[in-house]
Amino acid sequence: MTSLNFMFEFFRAGSSILGMNARNLTYVRPHNLSGAKKLADDKILSKRILKKNSVPVPRLIAKVSSISTLEKFDWTTLPESFVLKPNQGLGGAGIVIVYAKKKGRNDAWIKSSGSILTVKDIKEHVRNILDGAFSLSNSPDIAFFEERLKLSSELKPYAYRGIPDIRIVIYNKVPVMAMLRLPTKESDGKANLQQGGIGVGIDMATGTTTTAVQGKSKIVEYIPGSRMLLRGIKIPHWDEMLHLAVKAQIASGLGFLGADIALDRDRGPVFLELNARPGLSIQVANTAGLKKRLERVEGLDIKTVERGVTVGKNLFGGEIEQELEETSGKKVIGSIEKITLHGKNTKKIEVEAKVDTGADSTSIDEKLACELGFEETLNAFKKINLADYGEISEKNADIKTKINDDYSGKIPDLENVTIAWSSSGVTIRPVIKLTFEMDKKTIKTKVNIVDRTNLKYPMIIGKKNLHKFLVDVSK
Amino acid sequence: MSNECSYNGQEMACVLQKIMEQNVPLETVTILLLFPIIATIVVILRQVIGMHAFGIYTPSMIAIAFVAIGREDANNIKYAVAVYIVVLFVGMFMRYALKKLRLLYLPRVAITITIVTLSILALLTLAGSLSRTGFVEAELFAILIIITLVEKFVSVQIEKGSRTALILAIETLLIAIIGFYLMSTTTPIGIKITDVILRNPYLILLLIPFHIFLGKWTGLRATEYMRFRDVLKKIQ
Repeated sequence: MTSLNFMFEFFRAGSSILGMNARNLTYVRPHNLSGAKKLADDKILSKRILKKNSVPVPRLIAKVSSISTLEKFDWTTLPESFVLKPNQGLGGAGIVIVYAKKKGRNDAWIKSSGSILTVKDIKEHVRNILDGAFSLSNSPDIAFFEERLKLSSELKPYAYRGIPDIRIVIYNKVPVMAMLRLPTKESDGKANLQQGGIGVGIDMATGTTTTAVQGKSKIVEYIPGSRMLLRGIKIPHWDEMLHLAVKAQIASGLGFLGADIALDRDRGPVFLELNARPGLSIQVANTAGLKKRLERVEGLDIKTVERGVTVGKNLFGGEIEQELEETSGKKVIGSIEKITLHGKNTKKIEVEAKVDTGADSTSIDEKLACELGFEETLNAFKKINLADYGEISEKNADIKTKINDDYSGKIPDLENVTIAWSSSGVTIRPVIKLTFEMDKKTIKTKVNIVDRTNLKYPMIIGKKNLHKFLVDVSK
Repeated sequence: MSNECSYNGQEMACVLQKIMEQNVPLETVTILLLFPIIATIVVILRQVIGMHAFGIYTPSMIAIAFVAIGREDANNIKYAVAVYIVVLFVGMFMRYALKKLRLLYLPRVAITITIVTLSILALLTLAGSLSRTGFVEAELFAILIIITLVEKFVSVQIEKGSRTALILAIETLLIAIIGFYLMSTTTPIGIKITDVILRNPYLILLLIPFHIFLGKWTGLRATEYMRFRDVLKKIQ
């Protein structure tokens, strides 16, 4: 009986998933009219339309539309690196990526695989493109050269050879679901899921990655063969990407759009491609149903790009943080947090503190310590002639014990001293007992006092006080 | 429905008997009437089950070719499958063999067809020497239809890669075999279906409302329940 129930629930859950039938009949057919579809299939035209609507695209270098232009083409005009594409190519077929010019030669380049590409090779490839070898039903096509995007440093560690891109599905001006697509060794540097690339689901509100899938349905946690965790990657320029995707939808007239956006090292988010028939694997990457989300934004009256982005973030985001807090029992905090410090004589001071997982212990600024009532401690500590204890260095570890022996109990509130190696050199700092509140949790601890007048925040919170929290650096 | 007429001992609707009397062969009428049923099978396997195959035309034509080859004896279908597999292997092999030459699309397909044809000829000779008469006498046009599969195969190989092309080819083969068993007058189910259709040819019109229903159906396909099983488990 329970297994029957399970089956029933299983099939009922199917109503929140978008299948091929529903995608074609309910979304693609009525919302992507043939004119808009033609635009999506014409890369040069979509480039022009998007650019006009202030959506950044890879720069067009040159196009070759006939054999006679090919014969007359001046090959010296091609830059060091470029991408050669068929205008109406399908699924990345017929694309040649060139990384650099062959040294000492004006008519040869080096491909991503390291092999040489001569003018003769290019001409032949262009001829194939013109002949329609890569276009739908082999109709004659146009070849074009465009700027090669450069891998951004933020995503570099996650990509094998090729360039990762971000797919965002937009419906009714609202971004509804997104995934990061990573090229892998298996996919031969292509960010295509069907060829073994990795798709990583993205939380719409924060742009942080959630679950991941390799190929069509294999759930993965790490980049294969490495310890690179796929969860929790913060996508740089997330908001800008969402804006670009919505803008592109409005400009293209595609009601149901799969927007592909890449991140260039120098230019930031660059719009790659309009997709009139977005794939369904994005649901596996996000372990969430697209149909349910599409139904939620159906019929909403969205007037501006800004509004669409906000609605998408509000409706389809935030789950990740809640989920993390539930499963770990830990609170998620940002890198800068508001802290309430309990001073002596029940005095409370609110400050902004930097959360630093690189620091061991927590420290506060001298001025702040004074405000909290530790002026006496600080002044007394400063009177100690540290030179009496020899050179302050890593070798001289018993300096701490000696100072403690001499002053413990003599200076009010002095709990301990600590030797800290920081960017400003080695210092001996007084340690006091302090209570503070962070994100509604009260922490009783020992903190050291240091001069932080030239630093932005009067307090840093170190690892010792962070075991009840998870730090989200994007927050 | 009227089923009181007959022709050559086969009971059938009187309208069909009239057609036969105009010297239209029984076989032609049967295959023509079964064609919409094959198309229906392809549609169901695609829309409801989720098998892709090479569209609707290729699997239907190959199923018909199988029916023609298995007309005398259902066992002869193994020769049809052999031809099919040879076509696939040669198609795959030629892709790698011709890669270096970097030819334009049509000449490349033409070379592939040439090699496929020669291979089939060799296969026929081999079958003849082993006295496999069922194969040697197989319908010429049926074999030609299977050979034309190679163009579809090569173009999918170029557009979507060898793996996808192979999967689609296997799905097409499965659909064609299913179609064969449902239609061939030499298989038990096939005889029945043919019998029913010959007696009630108007039944095929009922397929139209069925296709209208399927054409508006937006449910998940069986293979999609498989593909999204992890998502489904999480959602429920």
